[in-house]
Amino acid sequence: MSTNSIKIFAGNSHLELAQLVASKIGVDLSKVVVLKYSNQETSVTIGESVRDEDVFIIQSGCGEINDNLMELLIMINACKTASARRITAVIPCFPYARQDKKDKSRAPITAKLVANMLTVSGANHVITMDLHASQIQGFFNVPVDNLYCEPSMLKYIKTEIPDWKNAMIVSPDAGGAKRATSIADRLNLDFALIHKERKKANEVSRMVLVGDVNGKVAILVDDMADTCGTLITAAKTLKDKGAIKVYAIVAHGILSGKAIDVINEPYLERLVVTNTIPHEDKKRVCPKIDTIDVSPTLAEAIRRTHNGESVSFLFSHAPE
Amino acid sequence: MRNIVIFGGSSHPDLADQIASRLNVQLGRAKLSKFSNKETNVEIRESVREKDVYIIQSGCGHVNDNLMELLIMISACKTASAKKVTAVIPCFPYSRQPDAPYKKNGARYIRNSSILPTPVSEVKESLVAATERNEQQNFDVEQSNFSCGSSRNAGYKHWIARSGTLIANLLTCAGADHIMTMDLHDPQFQGFFDVPVDNLYSQPLMIKYIKNNISKYENAVIVSPDAGGAKRATAIADKLHMDFALIHKERRSQIQPHKTDLMLVGEVKDKVCILIDDIADTSLTITKAAKVLNANGAKKIYAIITHAILSGDAIKRIQESVIDQVIVSDSIPQEEHMSRCSKIRVFHVASIFAEAVRRIHNGESISALFGRTELL
Repeated sequence: MSTNSIKIFAGNSHLELAQLVASKIGVDLSKVVVLKYSNQETSVTIGESVRDEDVFIIQSGCGEINDNLMELLIMINACKTASARRITAVIPCFPYARQDKKDKSRAPITAKLVANMLTVSGANHVITMDLHASQIQGFFNVPVDNLYCEPSMLKYIKTEIPDWKNAMIVSPDAGGAKRATSIADRLNLDFALIHKERKKANEVSRMVLVGDVNGKVAILVDDMADTCGTLITAAKTLKDKGAIKVYAIVAHGILSGKAIDVINEPYLERLVVTNTIPHEDKKRVCPKIDTIDVSPTLAEAIRRTHNGESVSFLFSHAPE
Repeated sequence: MRNIVIFGGSSHPDLADQIASRLNVQLGRAKLSKFSNKETNVEIRESVREKDVYIIQSGCGHVNDNLMELLIMISACKTASAKKVTAVIPCFPYSRQPDAPYKKNGARYIRNSSILPTPVSEVKESLVAATERNEQQNFDVEQSNFSCGSSRNAGYKHWIARSGTLIANLLTCAGADHIMTMDLHDPQFQGFFDVPVDNLYSQPLMIKYIKNNISKYENAVIVSPDAGGAKRATAIADKLHMDFALIHKERRSQIQPHKTDLMLVGEVKDKVCILIDDIADTSLTITKAAKVLNANGAKKIYAIITHAILSGDAIKRIQESVIDQVIVSDSIPQEEHMSRCSKIRVFHVASIFAEAVRRIHNGESISALFGRTELL
């Protein structure tokens, strides 16, 4: 008999976050075993009935991205052929989100491919967080909830950054201006912008500061920190132009390659990331990293989706 | 050949080179790499507008990475206005669909050291721990802790995901118009696709190898290592007018229904035996079969395999087994395997694929490839 309950499955990408989300909702993680066969093919075994249940699969696009993506697709497909009523893919960090347009000849729009793959495998609903470009929602034919970690970031700034009233919000590039001004308005702070000229992928060249940061605490706000090239060059520029301290708050801390060495340089005071991507091992070698827990937001979104309530509350409030 | 572009994925660049040179075309320029965060990066460096594109990618090595690369390449060519995109997949991934977490011939799980084995749930620990205890035996899942002792799930048995349809759907949604593969484990797979699928056969090449390299082959015996492969083996035996034998897994007692014995059906005493199979993954099937043949008096044992995945301890197992020679196709790159095992020989499949691509591109029939070996 279907119990019409929330069933949460977790892939291997971020088990910790899934456990936090499940405990905030008050359910146990449902039983699933996701392993690899000896020839590297992924194997998924679902350990309980999902017939006519509301299934949520939590898998973030981080670590071994292709493996985790395949795991997610196979789990969704398994639940669909097992007659689940509705399958929601909860993807805190959406994979391949940066390949979302043809910026040069014959470039693949991989974000669209991923959207197609999720739909084809059987997802009825997608919940994600801070999409690199919110237009990616249009790549899907199924409903997409793009949650914001902005309320959590605001809470963090007010409680953890001393002297925040004398701070300035800075966007490290022109694309993030909208995101940064939104935060600046909510906190009633001034805003500045850094304009960068980029030569090739993951390599930044010249930075121009628009605005005055002399004598202020600067808070850099961005959606992703991958190799941190952008952040560090921005921090250097801000320090050169007279900022007292430079903080950086980022939604998705991918921190690949030489990111940790780069952060340990003296320009940045602290790097704050959310836990959409696991980074415990990085925190151990870099004490400057601090975490914002977004599991309450995800848990609340799941709960409201299941009960059919509005999710708008989460766009301006950070639940505990 | 006009209006054709051939790209090779990173799974088997060698095969792509061979196919392109057989067709007398240059391989298309594409840069395949990974971003710093391990996302796949595909850059197509020549125009594919209004061309027929063939992308050669085998489902081997790091299967998920190669699959994503293939999908992204197909998608990139489609959005670059290619006229038709054909995916050439010599070894098709996820083609075996398991009924239980452990295949009867032992495609076991590995605790891959690069993946942190953090338990997905408490179930996984008991399951993986049980793996280590039950190395050689088939594992009875219902008796395991898997149903996790929770009485409310007493009637529920595990559900293993069968990814076959999913892979077919993914290839189609990425934009493939045509699929070409070889020796699909499950020929009904072609029905999962809405686009045409050409399932080529390596049988002509196997027959050619036997004729050219095994002396006095007329007196040898073709053996199928399991009942499922009987049809495949008898087809070869008939073509060569050879005798045939079969190895059968017989379940013995009621008390221990999962202890099976291998039984030989047919005569192999003092004969040269040739085992035929489509896939060798952990190579448990062929090494166990070889033991049985040896015990029954076989003089020499060959094994001819189409897709030699040879993962885990397979190479060691083959080296220590009673098989004299293992002949495999190069649908999967074999250099590394050959350097570790002296018993492996390779027959090349580039000729079949090149000829198939040529005929498909020119709109000719490929039925000729299913029988005659002179063209290869």
